[in-house]
Amino acid sequence: MPLGLLGTKVGMTQVFNEEGTMTPVTVLQLGPCPILQIKTPEKNGVPADGYHALQVGYADKKRKQANRPERGHVSNALESKRKKKRNPADIPKKADCEPQKYIREFRLDAPSNFEVGHLLKVGEVFPDTKAVDVIGTSKGRGFAGVLKRHGFGGLPAAHGAKKVHREPGSTSSLASNRGSGRPKKGKKLAGRHGASQVTIRNLKVVKIDQENNLMLVEGAVPGFNGALVMVRPTNYKS
Amino acid sequence: MKNSILKLVEEQNQITSGKLTKKQGELQKTGQNREVPKFEIGDTLDVHQWIETGEKGRLQVFTGVVISKRGEGSSEMFTVRRIVQGEGVERIFPIHSPKIAKIEVKRSGQVRRAKLYYLRDRVGKATRLKERKEKPTTTSKSAN
Repeated sequence: MPLGLLGTKVGMTQVFNEEGTMTPVTVLQLGPCPILQIKTPEKNGVPADGYHALQVGYADKKRKQANRPERGHVSNALESKRKKKRNPADIPKKADCEPQKYIREFRLDAPSNFEVGHLLKVGEVFPDTKAVDVIGTSKGRGFAGVLKRHGFGGLPAAHGAKKVHREPGSTSSLASNRGSGRPKKGKKLAGRHGASQVTIRNLKVVKIDQENNLMLVEGAVPGFNGALVMVRPTNYKS
Repeated sequence: MKNSILKLVEEQNQITSGKLTKKQGELQKTGQNREVPKFEIGDTLDVHQWIETGEKGRLQVFTGVVISKRGEGSSEMFTVRRIVQGEGVERIFPIHSPKIAKIEVKRSGQVRRAKLYYLRDRVGKATRLKERKEKPTTTSKSAN
């Protein structure tokens, strides 16, 4: 599994591509992301995390808004009673950066060459990536009906239908669910819609602006402008 | 208000699209930058459009009256209307499209509307527009 980056969805616009036609793009601001922790299956022969991963942070948080664990996670300088009792050699090196607003992990197949505290930039993580996957949280729709939530067709506008145009219709019968008379488990009904994690795969990378830490991907990504997105090289196999 | 990063991306895009491609430059034998003249609604334009045909490319000219402009920044579009064999033809172009080699203002018309959709209902002599006196000045697209 490849390394990715955290960032925010800036918004959508249009750019001209090489053929001279307009392309709808989403502008993503990615990184710079400090590496906060490196997870390994074992450390010095002792089983540790059990897998390879990089823990990266994104967006600084004010120190007074961060709690002590958050501050201690990024800095060796924070004093604590427990730390004093520990053997100094056992205390891992920290990133030495500001407390981070968002912290996420990227699972890796092999140990990485990066060190804790390294600032990951768009250019080094996606040097010549053609397409990416974007993971975000979709916009919340609140309590939505079955037409919006599950794409039901609804009931007729006329032909005797009255006050039931957007209803789900019949949910069960006496014979349904092997004669129990109850609706089947998992019956699609109205309910909370959106505000869930959504992955959009295989979005074409239009441009990478290393100077401003921007990436332009073709098409839409989930969530509202300013929302956190996770971007990784695509695992889509065509 | 528009996001400052989005504005930046659009400005960069506008600058790159303002540059002529190598093939277009050879055909035009002019400078590197595409000039977008300031034109108003009601003006008669010559739009030189780049048509790619295999190895070579050629320019196609579409002449007509600007009946609408919409959008802003790099996504600004304009509509040109002309009559071809008694049939009204309208084409919508992005102002900053790299496919547009040149825009020439032939004649400026005096109008009192921002959208000249009423021309669609008119035929023959009724589609003529009164000429405007002052001439608009040309501005380079990559000025900013």
